[in-house]
Order: sequence, then C-alpha cells, then structure tokens
Amino acid sequence: MPFLELNVLNAPERTTLGIDLGTTYSLVALWREGRPVVLRPKGRPDGRIPSAVHFPAKGPALVGWPARERAASDPGGTIFSIKRFMGRGLADARADLESVPFPARETESGVIQFVAQGRAWTPQELSALILQEVWRTAGEALGEEAPRRAVITVPAYFDEAQRAATRDAARLAGLEVARIVNEPTAASLAYGLEQKREGLVAVYDFGGGTFDVSILSIEGGVFRVLSTAGDTHLGGDDLDRALVALALSESRVGPELSHDPAFLQGLRLAAERCKLELSSRGESELHISAPEKRLSWRRSIRREEFEELLQPYLQRTLDCCARALHDAKLAPAEIQEVVLVGGSTRIPAVRAAVERFFARRPHCELNPDEVVALGAAVQGHVLGGGTRELLLLDVTPLSLGLETMGGAVSKLVLRNAPIPCQATETFTTYADNQTGIDFHVVQGERELAKDCRTLGRFKLRGIPPLPAGMARVGVRFALDADGLLSVTAREESTGVQSTIEVQPMNGLTDAEVERMLKESYAHAREDFDLSHLANLRIEIGTMLRALEKSLPGARSQLDRETLGDLEAAVARARTVERTDDVKAVQALRDELERAALPLAAVLMDSVAKAALQGKKLSEV
Amino acid sequence: MPALSPAVEACPSCGARPSTPLLCEACGELLEPRTPPSPFEALGIEPVFALDLGAARKRLLALSRALHPDFHGTADADTRRLAEDNTAALNAAFQVLADDLRRADWFVRSLGGPREDEERSMPGVFLQEVLEWNETIEEARSAAPGSPARAALASLAAELQRARAAGVQRVTGLLTPPPARGDTALRRVRQELNALRYMERALREIGELQLASHS
Repeated sequence: MPFLELNVLNAPERTTLGIDLGTTYSLVALWREGRPVVLRPKGRPDGRIPSAVHFPAKGPALVGWPARERAASDPGGTIFSIKRFMGRGLADARADLESVPFPARETESGVIQFVAQGRAWTPQELSALILQEVWRTAGEALGEEAPRRAVITVPAYFDEAQRAATRDAARLAGLEVARIVNEPTAASLAYGLEQKREGLVAVYDFGGGTFDVSILSIEGGVFRVLSTAGDTHLGGDDLDRALVALALSESRVGPELSHDPAFLQGLRLAAERCKLELSSRGESELHISAPEKRLSWRRSIRREEFEELLQPYLQRTLDCCARALHDAKLAPAEIQEVVLVGGSTRIPAVRAAVERFFARRPHCELNPDEVVALGAAVQGHVLGGGTRELLLLDVTPLSLGLETMGGAVSKLVLRNAPIPCQATETFTTYADNQTGIDFHVVQGERELAKDCRTLGRFKLRGIPPLPAGMARVGVRFALDADGLLSVTAREESTGVQSTIEVQPMNGLTDAEVERMLKESYAHAREDFDLSHLANLRIEIGTMLRALEKSLPGARSQLDRETLGDLEAAVARARTVERTDDVKAVQALRDELERAALPLAAVLMDSVAKAALQGKKLSEV
Repeated sequence: MPALSPAVEACPSCGARPSTPLLCEACGELLEPRTPPSPFEALGIEPVFALDLGAARKRLLALSRALHPDFHGTADADTRRLAEDNTAALNAAFQVLADDLRRADWFVRSLGGPREDEERSMPGVFLQEVLEWNETIEEARSAAPGSPARAALASLAAELQRARAAGVQRVTGLLTPPPARGDTALRRVRQELNALRYMERALREIGELQLASHS
C-alpha cells in the first residue's frame, strides 16, 4: 500500500475551502480529486448564495436564497451589498445607505451599525452570517461537516481596513482564515495558465460591486503580480442603479416613493432583471409598480440605450487598465492572455471593449461567476500543503505612510510593492524629556494625509526621558501576506520596547470581536436551526413546483403504487408550514425526494427515448 | 571586495554554507540573519552594477518557492514568522536590484560615497535642459487634451527615455568595476543619480498627464 505510506510520511493536507465572499453572491469551492470544484448541494446546480440578509418582523435573520426570496414580497426587511460597508464609515457610504431599509449609525471608532430587530449589526457581523451560510452550504454539498479553514477572497483594490473587516467577519463566523487572497489573482489560478509556463496576463474583474484589474507575469509556476488597479465602488450594482435612476426620472414618481427604501429595493431587483436580459436580447422591459400609489409604469429598454448608460462606467474600468499597465511599464500589446472575471463581463459591450483595449480575445471559458471561488480552492490546496507546484506573489494595491509635520504623508510602502513587506522609519523627539509620540497611519496615493484613508492612530509611550532629538525610535511596519498591517516600535539607544495602542479606524478591536463571538455563541444553535428550516421550506417549494409541472404528463407511465406513494408525499409536503420542527421538515423533504425518484427516472427515460426516435426535446 | 560581500555563516542545521543568509538551500532550513543582509546577499548573487536582471528574477522566484509563507502555513509560529520576515527581506532586495537608480544608490552608500543630501549638484550640461523640460510639462499641464502642447509631451518623453538610458550607461561605466571606498567616482555617480531622479520624476509626471487625458 504505497499510498498509505506516503500519507503517513508526509504531513496530511489540511483541507481548506475557497470562499468568494461577493457583493451580490458568494460561492464556495474545494480542491477534490485533482481539480477545484464548486460545492453545490444536491438539486441546486447554481451553487451561488445571495449575499443578502433578511430580518423578518420576528424570528432570526434569514440568509442567502431565503433572504432574497423574501426581498421580493417584503422588500423593507432585506439588506444587500453588505460588502460595500466593510471597513467603511457612514461618511464613506452615504450613497450606498440609501438602499438599506434600516437605520444606520456609527460607533466611536467609525464602524457602521444597522439597527434591525432592536439590535445593532455591524457589516462584519452581517458578513459573518453570510459566511456561516456559505459554510453550511459546503457541508450540505459534501454530506459531512465542512472544514473550518478557508481562503477568502477580497477585491485586489481593498484597503487594509476592508481586509481587516473581512478577516474579522470570518473569525465571527467561526472560520480559520488560511489566507486573504485577491480576487483577480485567484481567478488567474483557476485558469491553469501556468501550464503555458511563461507569459504576461491581464485579469479584468468586473463584479457586482467592485472592479479590479491585475497584471501578472507567470514563470515556472510562479504567479507574480506586477501591478493592480481598481475601484472598490464600481460594479454591476452601479449599472442597476443607472437603470433605477432612469426609471425614477422618467416615471416622475414623487419623493415619497423615490425615498422609500422598500420601493427602491423592488425597483432595483426589476432593474437587475432587465440588465441580465439585455445580455442575451436586444430589448427588455423595465416595469415598476406600486399598486397602493396607483403607479404602474413600463418602458422598453433597447440594448444600445443600455450601452450608452454603461459607457461612463466602462470607461472607468478601461482607465484602471491603462493605470495598471502604466505601473507595470507595459503596453497593451505586450499582454499575452486576458482573463474575464465577474458577472458584469457577461455584458457583450464589456467584452467587446476589453477585446478592443488589449487587441486580444479574452478568456471566458470558465463561468465568470465561479472562477474566483475555483481559484481560491486552488490556493487552499497550496496552503493546506497539497502542492508546491504553484506560488502566488501578490502586491499591496495602495501606498502606506505616516502623517508628518504639516499634514504631508511620508510613504513607507509604495503601491504595487510585493507582500509580505516590511519598512522601518526612525523618529526622534522634538522636546526635552518627551516620552511619547503620536502617529497617524494612512493609506492612499494623495500627497496630504487628510486626503488619504486613516487606518489608525497610535501613541508611542515609554520613551526614556532624553534631550530633544536624542531618542531614536524605530517604527516598523509589517504588511503580511494577507495585506494586513502590524506596527511595532523600539527606542534604539536604550533598546526599550515602546508600547503601542492602535485604535483602528472603521475597524473592530480584538476585544470587540471576542465580545461579539461570545454573544453569538449564545444564539448560534437556535439561529442555525431556524435558517436551516427556512432553506428546507424553500427546497420543498421548488420541488413541489417542479412536480406540478411534470407529474400530469407522466401519470400514465407510473404504476399505481408509485403514484399513490408520490401523491401522499406531496400532500404531506404541503403541510410544511404547519410545523417548525427542523427534523420533521427535513423528513418531509427527504420523503418527497425519495417518492419522486421513479418519476425522475420515467422523465429521463422518455427524454432518452425521444432522442433515440429523433424527436426534438422540446416536442417531448 | 570584503565591504560588499561579508561571509555568510554555516547552516546550523546541516553545516552547509548557504548562498543567502535567509535560507539554507541545501536542507531547506529558514535562517535568521544576524544583520540585515544587503540586496545582493539576500538573493545570493555577486554584487555587480551591470546586473543580469533575468537571472536575478530567477533567483527571486527560486528563493520565494522555499521561503514564502504560503508553504509554511502549517508550520510552528517561529517558522511562520521567519517565512514572513525573510520573504519581506527578499522582496525588498529585489525591489532595490530591479531599479537602476536604487541599485546605484546602494553602491554609492555602501562604498562610503556622498549621500543624497551631501551632494546635490547635477552635471553642468544638464541644467539648461531641465529648464526647457519643465517648461514643456507646465505648458502641457494647462493645455487642452489633443493640443500641440500635449503632443509635445510624447516627444519629450522619448527624449527623456534616451537621456535616462545614456545616464544609466555612464553610471554603469563609473561603477564597473566597483570603485574603491571613498573614490571620487562615487561623487560623480551621485551627481548623475540626481539628474536621473529628476528625469524619473519628469517621466512620471508625463505618464500621469497622459493617463489623465485618456479619460
């Protein structure tokens, strides 16, 4: 048994999930039998999980599909696009707050809180709910408890605060973060481009809420990012909003509706449907209605018209591409492969523009919604110790610095510097016997500290009393491979380790994360059961609808016993709303699935027979 | 040149003499450098200014394959820290080596030449040109995209690229073979570097202006 021996000799691989925590949808994948696969529970070919949370009038929050389904009937209770609030304060997020149907406030350290069901939820906690749902889905697909170790992807252009918020969300969800990986970099792994050995690659990642472009060089299995550029506020969401704005202005709805979050959410979903349709058709209808206000407005949108709306956003993505190429000191023609990632790259006009820009037909063989999660699973395989064939060398998207006298920024780490990286700067005191120094850590490309993002402030204490200018304090910044920052300081003449209290801006302290974890444990079991219950009900609903469609035509092909069995199971499944017992509902679902099996076989059979007889499937 | 290449100690684990203080390539042990290594030491390559960048990059990739935290994620905390620290040192080293100006600056400083703030002058012929270049950039800055002033930027960029290449060529001559400690050639390198930095800045500004006019 050579295999067994090998496993004993080598440290076993630590199974690691790859999670794409997206603005609109999330997805989970895992390395299995030599390749990355998306984890899809049985009967759900679309493995995506909507990144949405619904707070019903009472009962626990619903997450994922149940939240999205409820949003249609009860639009006032669902929050979407939580990712846009990660690591952000109220002032950063004004425009995004308009579509959130809950009051928002801010903690002292600039963390947004949404008030729903009488308690405050940070974006980190809401993202944790989504991650838990993702993890639960993974377990359902695997048929056993899913691993708790995960690679989680973030937009390449996420700053430190947004990355830290993502890490905290994972901790709150009970996950161990093996690595925070940039989405475009992950995507490049999924394509197996290393098999071509050498080359320059551009990854164009136009997702639901963010845009990234990364330029990589691939050499001997090493993926080295040369530059990255992007916009954390540019995505498919913006295209929906452009349609919403059009509908609002042309339908001339009054302010009572145009500021009603519930109405806006309904409209946003309609706009999204219209946008999706326009990728496959030349025309689509945008319809809004509010019966209680006697409003019903419809308008047909032509693809050309939509492309005109899209133009300014598309131009911004191409500006980012020009920036990334400039930083990598390359011309578009030098790029050998272009990879498309993100749902918005399904739009024909987007594909055409990218093809024109790089003068090269882009790769789109893989599902653009799945490619990031697949790449994350590849990276999970590497990090779990499964292979040393591949290596990712990534960069930090934004410069990192300290505010100096006069409000300018002294940059310690420049954008596109490879991570991990470390930088040390020496400071001195300007007054006699000064024992402390205040620091302001910023991230961004602007010259003045006030125009950059504040990552945090820290005070250095315990400097030995010395004449002005004599103390030499070395401050060391370390960006780790996740792009997360840590700061240490030391007085060099005496070797005294100075203490640092960092107050993260728009972020949680470790103590806050701990407290939230304790609180969530108390409710975990109960919440889990109730959200599982909601999922089961939705599954049963989907199965019942499918049966209603297919059973009448196939009755004659089932024997009496089978038919009776199935009809009884259907009747029992229809009582699903009457019980709240998870085990009972699970039994109803399983029974329905079992009873429907013969029908499925018959249907398959007639499809196969029809094919053999040369009939078109649509005639069956 | 003892000043440029101090001895690397033997690997505590297998006794081999490693080519870099960051790692024993013979046994794969991550090493804790006693003092921060120079960029050339970190990559384990010979300190010459006229560097074979392709070979240096191959070293970067090979050492990254052994050092990177991704491959030590399941190791003990000490090894994980060393993987982060040593990869950071390796990355910093390659950043210096891959940049002509930073690499030259490293030679001048390690051979006891004048620092940037000790020698601020530029080669004489250069000053008149600087004034003309400045003028072209300032005119383009206030001009509309597509105007002749903007078009002049492209030819200025080409001229700067040529001037930069010529400057790097002169620096290569001055630093090959490396001058003795305190040699007057180091002052001349510093002056060339001052001019080259100016060109880099001008090229960067032109690049920004051109990027801005695209949109």
